[in-house]
Amino acid sequence: MNRFNDIAGVFRIQVASLRSEIGPFLLAAIVFPSAMYLFANAVSGPEASRNRLRFLAGSIVFSLSLTSISWLGYLLLENRFTGRLKLFATLPIAPSSYVFGVLIFALAQAALGVTTVMLVARAFGAQMRPNLLLLIAVVFLTILSLCGLGVIIAARARSFSEGSLLTDTLGAGLVLLAPIYYPPEVMPRALRMFVQLLPTSFAARALQTTLAGGNAISIELVALSVGAFATLALAFHLMKWREE
Amino acid sequence: MAVTLEALTNLDVGFDRRKDPSSAATVIKVCDLVKTYRDGTEANRGISLNIRPGEICAIVGPNGAGKTTFLRQLTTELRPTSGSIEVMGIDVVANPACAKSLMGITPQEAGLFDRITVREHFEYFARFKHLSKDAAHSASAELMLELGLMAESKKLVRSLSGGQRRRILIGLALLGRPPLLVLDEPTTGLDPATRRRVWQVIRNAVTDGATVLLSTHYMEEAERLSDRIGIISEGRLIAYGSLEELLTQLNRSYRLSYRDRSGEPRVRFCESFAAAQRCVERELLSEYSIARASLEDVYFRLTGAVFEKDETSPTL
Repeated sequence: MNRFNDIAGVFRIQVASLRSEIGPFLLAAIVFPSAMYLFANAVSGPEASRNRLRFLAGSIVFSLSLTSISWLGYLLLENRFTGRLKLFATLPIAPSSYVFGVLIFALAQAALGVTTVMLVARAFGAQMRPNLLLLIAVVFLTILSLCGLGVIIAARARSFSEGSLLTDTLGAGLVLLAPIYYPPEVMPRALRMFVQLLPTSFAARALQTTLAGGNAISIELVALSVGAFATLALAFHLMKWREE
Repeated sequence: MAVTLEALTNLDVGFDRRKDPSSAATVIKVCDLVKTYRDGTEANRGISLNIRPGEICAIVGPNGAGKTTFLRQLTTELRPTSGSIEVMGIDVVANPACAKSLMGITPQEAGLFDRITVREHFEYFARFKHLSKDAAHSASAELMLELGLMAESKKLVRSLSGGQRRRILIGLALLGRPPLLVLDEPTTGLDPATRRRVWQVIRNAVTDGATVLLSTHYMEEAERLSDRIGIISEGRLIAYGSLEELLTQLNRSYRLSYRDRSGEPRVRFCESFAAAQRCVERELLSEYSIARASLEDVYFRLTGAVFEKDETSPTL
């Protein structure tokens, strides 16, 4: 019960902090990814109608990446380097409660971002028949993998500027490198195998299939699960109140 | 649970006879605490001390002496290299969460959430101390009133001054009325009036049964607020006791302040008031004052600051 109370407390503080930063959050989670969806449609010309679900899947991954790595990573770095983490450390709460509180906050943001991007895409012509359960599972696992990366960077960065640069680079880079807005065949051969293994690539493939009403995403789900487990295990390991 | 109850029982026993120096009960028991950082820096070199229930203990020392390192180990933030720390019978190294549940802590460099209000800070952090919603609400109101923050309760923290933020941090430590308060330089950056208000808040906490360990740069604060004072220098606890006990370490416990013939301010320390008066007469001093030596004098003496060697060679 205490643990639940602690997690809820961390979540409440993050939500309360978000109130006065709703603008940048909306920009990262909704406006920019929605704009990217429209932009990709516009530049693909007559091919657009065939690629709409791929662009939508890409924009959802873009939204998840920006909110989970760039935005959340920034908040965690800010907590650490402005002494707020130290304030949590004075309390009799477990570091894992802090991480869980942050993850739930990220999931809440993701739910808002994904739903809005899907509504925008629908309004602009995307035809989708999503399997809701699978969609939720993919979004959930993607968030966990990407948040794990955000927490790892926030826990290990030597300075705010170093961490901020890493979260920004990773948040955008993982989307740009993954074959989201373009087919993988256009990638240089040397990069092709590498980019297929990125969590964002698995997420985009799984989302595209799910949005089209398909359910053959077991490989992607396994890969995302492994990624989520690995990054979160490391994140929980690194998040400690006590220094050596 | 059993450990906590035992600890609380110890506290109760000790609290009833807290003014009895022979009391065996201790809230904090530190034995031979050593902290050596990876780069070889020895921040604490075998610190041992006991703090009795209901005491206010101040730790003073120069910058970099190891005060904050000592407090960080006590509050479980930093793992000691060797030695032991017990808070109310609980080993803080082995059982940090349980130990922290007995402490209210104000770290030196903690930050607040700029984008949430003062009241929200108090209410959210009260819930972390497992107060019910109603109890959190009333405890928050009580502390904001006590700390003079009521007028700011609805303001975002980013609009507050450094002193107001510091008071919030102290208030957060007091939430839930923990039996032990550990405050790292709680009044740094506060104006004199606010500092006195914080002193009163700390005294009130002690009246309610708390024990307090604080570090400070202000000698006046240590003198006026604490029952016992520890002086840390170069990682060692070089003196520990009441102000009177520390003053006895000065052979010459009267301070004669005066201006010499060229108008320069001078200080001498004399064995007695009469000896100081004799000095005034001998030197034909016209502008002078004689007072008991202070903690500051002990501090400078023990931490190696330049100090007179005898009655006739003032250097301070």
